[in-house]
Amino acid sequence: MRRAGLLAVGLIVLAASPTYPQSRMRSGQGPVKEIVVTARRLVRLEQWIKATEHHRPGEADDPATLIGSWPNDQLQELWADVSTLLLTMRDPRSNRSSFVVRLMGRRPVSQFYPPREIRRLRELGCAAGGNLDHPACVELRVGASLDTDLVKLAARVVADRFRGDDNHVVRRGALLHTDIATLNLAKAATSPVSQAQFMYPERVRVEIADGQGLDVGLMGIHWDIAEEILDHVQPPGTSRVNPAGDPMVLQWYRTTSRWMQLHADYDIRHLERGRQLFPNDPDLLFLAGCQHETDASPGIQSSMRAAVIPPGFSIDIGSSHGELRRAEGFFRDVIARVPWHGEARLRLGRVLGLLDRHADAVEQLTTSIEQLTDRPLQYYAQLFLGAAQEALRKYDEAREAYERASGLYPDAQSPHLALSQLARRRGDRAAALRAIERLFALPSDAFDRDDPIWTYHAAQARTGDDDLEALRKPFITEERP
Amino acid sequence: MSRGARLTGALMLAAAAAPLAAQSQFSVRVESVRVDVLVADGGRPVLGLRADDFEILDNGVPQQTDLVSFDEVPLNVILVLDISNSVAGERLEQLQDAGRAVLTGLRKEDQAALVTFSHVVSLGAALSKDLAAVRSALGAAYGFGETSLIDATYTAMMVGEADAGRALLIAFSDGVDTQSWLRADAVLDAAKRSDAVAYGAAIEARESSSFLRDLTSLTGGTTYKVESTRDLRQTFLKILEEFRHRYLVSYTPRGVSKDGWHRIDVRVKNRRVTVKARPGYLAGTS
Repeated sequence: MRRAGLLAVGLIVLAASPTYPQSRMRSGQGPVKEIVVTARRLVRLEQWIKATEHHRPGEADDPATLIGSWPNDQLQELWADVSTLLLTMRDPRSNRSSFVVRLMGRRPVSQFYPPREIRRLRELGCAAGGNLDHPACVELRVGASLDTDLVKLAARVVADRFRGDDNHVVRRGALLHTDIATLNLAKAATSPVSQAQFMYPERVRVEIADGQGLDVGLMGIHWDIAEEILDHVQPPGTSRVNPAGDPMVLQWYRTTSRWMQLHADYDIRHLERGRQLFPNDPDLLFLAGCQHETDASPGIQSSMRAAVIPPGFSIDIGSSHGELRRAEGFFRDVIARVPWHGEARLRLGRVLGLLDRHADAVEQLTTSIEQLTDRPLQYYAQLFLGAAQEALRKYDEAREAYERASGLYPDAQSPHLALSQLARRRGDRAAALRAIERLFALPSDAFDRDDPIWTYHAAQARTGDDDLEALRKPFITEERP
Repeated sequence: MSRGARLTGALMLAAAAAPLAAQSQFSVRVESVRVDVLVADGGRPVLGLRADDFEILDNGVPQQTDLVSFDEVPLNVILVLDISNSVAGERLEQLQDAGRAVLTGLRKEDQAALVTFSHVVSLGAALSKDLAAVRSALGAAYGFGETSLIDATYTAMMVGEADAGRALLIAFSDGVDTQSWLRADAVLDAAKRSDAVAYGAAIEARESSSFLRDLTSLTGGTTYKVESTRDLRQTFLKILEEFRHRYLVSYTPRGVSKDGWHRIDVRVKNRRVTVKARPGYLAGTS
């Protein structure tokens, strides 16, 4: 259903600004504060480990619902503890009790684990790392301190390692948080901004609808946790952490970025993080261009003007012109790498038209029409070509392009509006009226009036849901404990 | 403003409601220009003016006023109403109530039409004296989707142009345009060629469309800001009353070029009054 993809409702994620008032933080270059980790945090960490194992990807089951119900302060602590767990997991011999965590560009935080807590962290690390037989873990007598679930988990980790992939908890952990975010299980998303802790990273989301910023609130940081976890991936067949060398991490960034654009759940920072890992990936470059193109749209621009952004947060959305220029850069980059990328040319052509560079737009759009086979994409290209030709006062060529668009989607209203306005502009009132008559003859119900232009902003992400299913699939087929 | 495609005066009175297609047979090339003019003194309309009371300059060239009518030419009122998602619920009910109030205020010779818009632009009811049909279409509207104010305004202008009557567009939108295909400048260009007068109503506290302000200014109307949709009924009735108090002045341009932008100055001789009219019209192709 096309209406589902309209930009009527969307979310824009804001990052805590690095310019957050220093009075909230201790001065100096060192860690802001030493945080003493409590036993309760370790209990939640254990719950999380078990949730990663018991959760069935794609399902709003109890493990995902439990983790999703945690408020932001607990998620932030979890984020830091997962980070230390993954370090411990990879190095069972380590007897460190203090860890400096640097999450998402924030100032470093020093986490101190008292003796009982560091022992528990190491025990959990032995299970999550599948290292129960490691001398350091044997010395800890983990066999006596771990329950059946954790022992079974360790066995599965070992089995995966034998298959060449030593990322069992890492991948499943990332999928757990992906599901919490995509299945809308994050209850913390409604927290008021005044509850922000600012010790750890925060995310604010702006709910937008029909060009207005409706609500601003803290959101669950599940995407950030998933990203952080995936930073610990060791590509199969290697023994070094290197997420940029892992195909699943690339697939994850492509898929989640596409899913976000499909569902108008915009987070430019997420895409940027993906591009930091995979700077030459045409898919991520293309999606980045699409995001900036969307950010230039009247709906996003007016929402941002209307939204009241809390102090300490920033949004990286520039003026419409600036966003179009950024989009142009990305699309040109994609085309330079993949000259047959018709969809990038289509979007570049539209962007150039909006930047009043109509002759360049015509060139790109004409080439894209030769390259594209998808009917909606052909429709967009004809419509945009018509607009560019009209701007160049090539009225006959414009009319022909609009008519071709109308031929592709007879029930779409935009070509009729375009043809009528063009005729009116040429002084042909009768033709203008005839075109409007055709618009009035279209089905009046929105569900029946099929104009792909209404979902243009999501067309690039049309496979987002299927891609997410494909991402989950290898983990669904596993036999569960 | 429609040079070259309008009959004037008594023939306009004879124009009946008809489907758009039937109206597309305008072939009579009468080079006349019509201007709706509001004359006020201290905020109150000045009544009783005659053709020779008006002085009209077209691109600075004085023109002979052919005809002035006041409250004689029936109205073609086109309601252009935003029914996007943000208007759904109580706001929509208040908007519908305001629309009904306008219909109740019309006379039996007047016509009305309803254009509703979200991202979908629909002719809820064609221009007709059958106000019950318009009322029914108004009641059937439901809120959904995004906002295509620019597309809808263009469509409403075309509804107005399909009939020789005196077109008044009453447009309401509670926010900015997020989905129109047509560009604002293109539709403003079309407005410069049309003799419809557009009035607008927008919500005070919300980000509003500069397009609506530009459109109403170009056509000689006004955009009223309202605090909430509760005030729409009063605002719509005010618009209707103001429009009824406007003079319809026409002239046949002489001594000016055919094409391009024509600046119009309308004055009332020997009176210190406020005159509100469209600032000009566009002729020829662009």
